[in-house]
Amino acid sequence: MSAITVRTRLWPVRLRSTPAVATAAAVVLACYLLVGLVGPLLIPYDPVATSVADRLLPIGAVRQDGTLALLGTDGAGRDMLGQLVHGARTSIVIGVSVVATCLAVGLALGTLAGYLAGWTDVAISRLIDVLMAFPGILLAIVIAGLFDQGMLVVVLALSVAGWVAFARLARGLTLSLRVRPWVDAARLIGVPTPVVIVRHIIPFVIGPVTALATTEFAGAVLSEAGLSFLGLGLPSSTVSWGQVIANGKDYLDTAWWISALPGLALTGLVVSTGLLGDHLTQRLGSSR
Amino acid sequence: MRPIRLRRAVVLATATLSIAGLVGCSTTTGGSTAGGDVPQELVVAAWTPIENLDPHGASAMDNGTQVAAKAIYSALVRTVGKGQFEGVLAESWQPNEDATEWTFRLRGNVTFSDGKPVTSADVVASFNRVLELKGAMASNYAGHEAKESGADTVVITSKDPDPALLGKLSTFYVTPAAQEKWDKPVGSGPFVVERFTPGQSLVLAPNPGYWGGKPALRRLELRSIGETAARMTALKTGEVDLTWAVPDDQLPGLQANSDLVVEKDQGNGVITMWMNSSAKGLGDPAVRRALWQAVDFPTIVTSLFPETGSVADSVVTPNVLGYAPQTPVKYDQAAAKAALDKAGWDYDQTIRFQFSQPQFQQFTDAVASDLAKIGVKVEPIQKESAVFLQDLLALNWELNIQQLGTAGFDAATNLGRLYTCAAKRMGYCNEDLDKLLAEAGSTSDTAKRQELYAQANKIIWDDAVGMYPMYVRTLYVRNKSVQGFTVPQDLTPDFSKVRIGGDG
Repeated sequence: MSAITVRTRLWPVRLRSTPAVATAAAVVLACYLLVGLVGPLLIPYDPVATSVADRLLPIGAVRQDGTLALLGTDGAGRDMLGQLVHGARTSIVIGVSVVATCLAVGLALGTLAGYLAGWTDVAISRLIDVLMAFPGILLAIVIAGLFDQGMLVVVLALSVAGWVAFARLARGLTLSLRVRPWVDAARLIGVPTPVVIVRHIIPFVIGPVTALATTEFAGAVLSEAGLSFLGLGLPSSTVSWGQVIANGKDYLDTAWWISALPGLALTGLVVSTGLLGDHLTQRLGSSR
Repeated sequence: MRPIRLRRAVVLATATLSIAGLVGCSTTTGGSTAGGDVPQELVVAAWTPIENLDPHGASAMDNGTQVAAKAIYSALVRTVGKGQFEGVLAESWQPNEDATEWTFRLRGNVTFSDGKPVTSADVVASFNRVLELKGAMASNYAGHEAKESGADTVVITSKDPDPALLGKLSTFYVTPAAQEKWDKPVGSGPFVVERFTPGQSLVLAPNPGYWGGKPALRRLELRSIGETAARMTALKTGEVDLTWAVPDDQLPGLQANSDLVVEKDQGNGVITMWMNSSAKGLGDPAVRRALWQAVDFPTIVTSLFPETGSVADSVVTPNVLGYAPQTPVKYDQAAAKAALDKAGWDYDQTIRFQFSQPQFQQFTDAVASDLAKIGVKVEPIQKESAVFLQDLLALNWELNIQQLGTAGFDAATNLGRLYTCAAKRMGYCNEDLDKLLAEAGSTSDTAKRQELYAQANKIIWDDAVGMYPMYVRTLYVRNKSVQGFTVPQDLTPDFSKVRIGGDG
């Protein structure tokens, strides 16, 4: 597998591929994770509680009760820092759940299609084609619009089309793996099919799939923010960066921090995930 | 090769000619506009979307429909102030002694935009249509009947005396008896419909046969821009020339722009938050009062609406006949909590708080926040305006917020229309109030009516049929090139006298 590292690129690759950049991205990601895990414990925030007397305070202003609004407040007087920290947790939870669901479904169906071939492959591949022909975010909007708002619905909506990429990758890899000598040998000595797939195929598929998972994570986080921005994502009782950005869009020229801060946080998360994903693709990936 | 060349030459010549023609056309159009240099075109961003052009049906009292109706149709009379009216289609009118019979004489020279004259038959047909459709306006006219008496006289009779009839009629628009196409209706107003896309845009052209004189505007577009930010940007870039109900927060950005003129009306709207008395737990006035008491409205009003809001002390605004100041509801969470405990409030119950317009977003959040402090769960739900209206009438909510104006500056069109048992607007039914409202609606003595409405006001306020937190004044912002525009007092601008000037 290690031989497959040369890929043609359309733009200079130095920034995207150096280990230093990848390390930096990993550190940034670790910070996000830390904030998402520990932050909500340290910084309490209640999305329902507003304080209209302290509304639209700029960064670093002091509230009426003397406390510091480190990153300002929004149009209803809610603390921006709290929203950012709790939004980080929401984004990470959604991103991880969506990727985990997609990975599980995609890996299972993809290896099955690749290994069993025949009608199974035809059925799964056509299903993939159908889903690929439909814009993923549109499908997510339809699904999210049909049901009541909630975390589970968002994960479902984003997973419905998200597993396709994993399945395609897993199927392609399996197609070439199933004719390798060690798989043939296992089959010949009578190892049952499920065991062959789990012990002799999946270990070789998991690397590239993990690399893909990072980029899909970034996509899931962005899509959730998009849905929440449109008011179709999470209910207002859950903080989401997309919602905060939407709340601030009436104040872009007077209170820029409401939309800008979560926007920056989102950008940071997505860009560093992407950089790390690129690096992982080069280390673990194969031509997709 | 010759034929091909010839053909090419012909094509070229045709192209040149048509281009020349186009240029010629545009020069002529440019030259013929009234005022010489500025095109008389006005684009207005309406506050609420115009979903429907039917002035008699379910959405008849919607601001969008009312604004459109004022441009397309004519009413019998219009309000010029508290208790003052001016004839529109009606040239004169006369009530009998006890105000059970009103005789309206129509103007003789008025025609619909299709050329047919406006007759008493059309007025009667329109009136009957309002009653048949049982829409938002119908409860204004319980026990009323319209009859023609000759081609130019209409007599409206009512079972009980109705001295407030003129106020009610200010939102009653006359359409032809044979009106069929409600997406491109015929009317007798200053404008005719050119194109209508529900919820998006209404394009109007002047009605050359308008009895009040053809409007100066050649084209009037009423556009619905739902997003506040988009609406303000459109105003700043000049894409839109006029809008109203501008949020307080947007004012600093607009005042900095020297092309814009900001004006404020006298205010006739009250933020009205009905509590659904037919919903679980909300039938008890003590519960409703406690919920009202638990919200710090003075702080919310002064923080969110420093320019346009003031804390209300009555169900209707002071410039309305029937206004009477009430005892302010004092913010006291401890007392509220105690009252809820005593009444056995179910703290697991979630109050669905419905609203439609984006300016209520933070208001509803703040109310939910204050109620959450005493453990009452409130979920603000923003609904698209058609859904909102449907749910509102179906009582599919526990708490509702909207801005209510009083048409004709007479409590009859607000209290008398909405708070009767028969109206079923908020699940509240009180026979004493019904009697009071019926009596107030049928007394011709103005002082007596004021007194009766004051009593009704007190019952509604003390029984906390809703929360009445704030009086609203409305900000109108227009491009300074828009001239001849008067700020209306009832949120329905009249565009018939508007023209576009130069920069002045």
